[in-house]
Amino acid sequence: MKGTVRVALCATALALLSGCDSGPPTPEQLAALKPADARLAAIYKHSCKACHATPGSGAPLVHDHSAWAPRWAKGLSVLRDHAIVGFQAMPAGGQCAVCTPADYEKLIRFMADQEDK
Amino acid sequence: MKISRRAALFAAGAGAVVVGAGAVGVSMAEYDPPEPAAPPATDAQGHVVWRNWSGIRHSYPQSPIAPASEDELAHLLKTSPVPIRAVGAGHSFMPLVPTNGTLLSLDAMSGVTAVDGDQATVWAGTRLGDLGPALASHGRAMANLPDINKQSLGGALGTATHGTGKHLRAIHGDVTALRLATVDGNIVECSKDKNPDLFDAARVSLGSLGIIVQARLTTIPSRRLHRRVWLESFEETLAAAEQRWSTHRNFEFYAVPFTGLAANITHDETSEPARPRGPETDSQFLEALKALRNLFSFSNTIRKAAAKVLLASSEANPEEAVDDGWKLLSTERPVRFNEMEFHLPADAQLAALREVVETIERERHDIFFPIETRRIAPDDAWLSPFQGGPRGSIAVHTYYKDEYEFLFQLIEPILRRYGGRPHWGKLNSLRGADFAAIYPRWKEFLELRRSLDPDARLLNDYLRGIFLS
Repeated sequence: MKGTVRVALCATALALLSGCDSGPPTPEQLAALKPADARLAAIYKHSCKACHATPGSGAPLVHDHSAWAPRWAKGLSVLRDHAIVGFQAMPAGGQCAVCTPADYEKLIRFMADQEDK
Repeated sequence: MKISRRAALFAAGAGAVVVGAGAVGVSMAEYDPPEPAAPPATDAQGHVVWRNWSGIRHSYPQSPIAPASEDELAHLLKTSPVPIRAVGAGHSFMPLVPTNGTLLSLDAMSGVTAVDGDQATVWAGTRLGDLGPALASHGRAMANLPDINKQSLGGALGTATHGTGKHLRAIHGDVTALRLATVDGNIVECSKDKNPDLFDAARVSLGSLGIIVQARLTTIPSRRLHRRVWLESFEETLAAAEQRWSTHRNFEFYAVPFTGLAANITHDETSEPARPRGPETDSQFLEALKALRNLFSFSNTIRKAAAKVLLASSEANPEEAVDDGWKLLSTERPVRFNEMEFHLPADAQLAALREVVETIERERHDIFFPIETRRIAPDDAWLSPFQGGPRGSIAVHTYYKDEYEFLFQLIEPILRRYGGRPHWGKLNSLRGADFAAIYPRWKEFLELRRSLDPDARLLNDYLRGIFLS
């Protein structure tokens, strides 16, 4: 019994670590996902969604855990600065002229599905 | 760079050639230059950097603002640190935006406020990609659109941004009235009937007379367009181009240097059921052209032969799609670049293009981006490049990681010699005296600017250089 519980706990932990991943988000999920905060949701719609919710754009898709994992491993401050100054296909600031470093951190956490970290 | 299904075929072919060349070939083909040096994310005072889309312009504005109403904007124009520069999507390659004073975004003033018959009233902060569906919900559409959908309406108007079509004007050509916030804190209305000089000056004014907050636009009934994209020889395209501009609603082509080919794109109205384009594949096309550059830049003959082999199958497979115009004419551009575009007298366009292609193929084997060729109908805004007659545009792009100074040294002299006027947002080296020589109403514009903003609160260093020199 104890062994069964341990296996179940391990399975649960693995599922949580992988974000209960069942593959990349569906087109419907990509279209619907947005930050809970209304102001951030507006910035996300204006500056992030066109690439981060479009398969094939080259950008890591929102809540696509396998795409975000290697990026998240670089550290939030690196990702934030890449977002601000631009990096590869990512234009500087996501073309948001009035976003703050804190805004970028929150948006990255949301897209990487790491809001609780 | 809307090449689509052809891109996949091309990319697959390129992949086969590269694999055939072995591991070294793969490595060479996939070589990507290093990321250009980036400025720090913040300056010593903690101001966050603003950088344009391509990355070649930046500044550290002390006051980034996004007013949500005309009243708030009018107040801020009187009180904010100078210079005050409006920004949309940051797609201009010229230093129109950089300011260490106030960076003004109109993102919070966005949307369609009214549709009355064929007239739509739109906030200037509206992104073109949002304007299409918003007008479509009223059964209306813009007559024409540029090929990038991220720009704000205000930015597109201010820089005379345009699409293609012999009988279609640039976006500002369809404006019938404007509301302008001036530095004295007033909102001024202008149209052909009310403040007509201001109307003719402000439609293309680089944010230098005031801030365009709202525009009334003439729209057309929303119709589906039939899009067709095909490759053929560059010479065939040159021979047929004038006839295609006359017979198609929208026609443009991309001369693909070092291939002897051109990608032709037409759009025509249709009642056929929708057949959407499918996923964007232009990036793969550009990757394949870059791979050819990386592998064969030592020999034009081999590069051209390889390109012809790779493109043989795609030449026989034109791309076709049917959809709402706003979904086809204007799209995302995921690969960043720098660009020079001049608007030439229509009868000089094709000769100039031939010279540009010959010059690139002779002098610059590192170039791989196709050269965009469009036609625009005239309008009467004072600083419109299309003022006084139809213009043919030639746009030379370079990958954002590649050197672009050659545009000034090799390409601009050709385009100026043929009578070209530069796109206001794209790379050029013209100064005030140069603009005075090619715009008949330049002096009146300067006088009007001085009367509206005598302390030059809206001018950054670049604009001071051309308006106050």
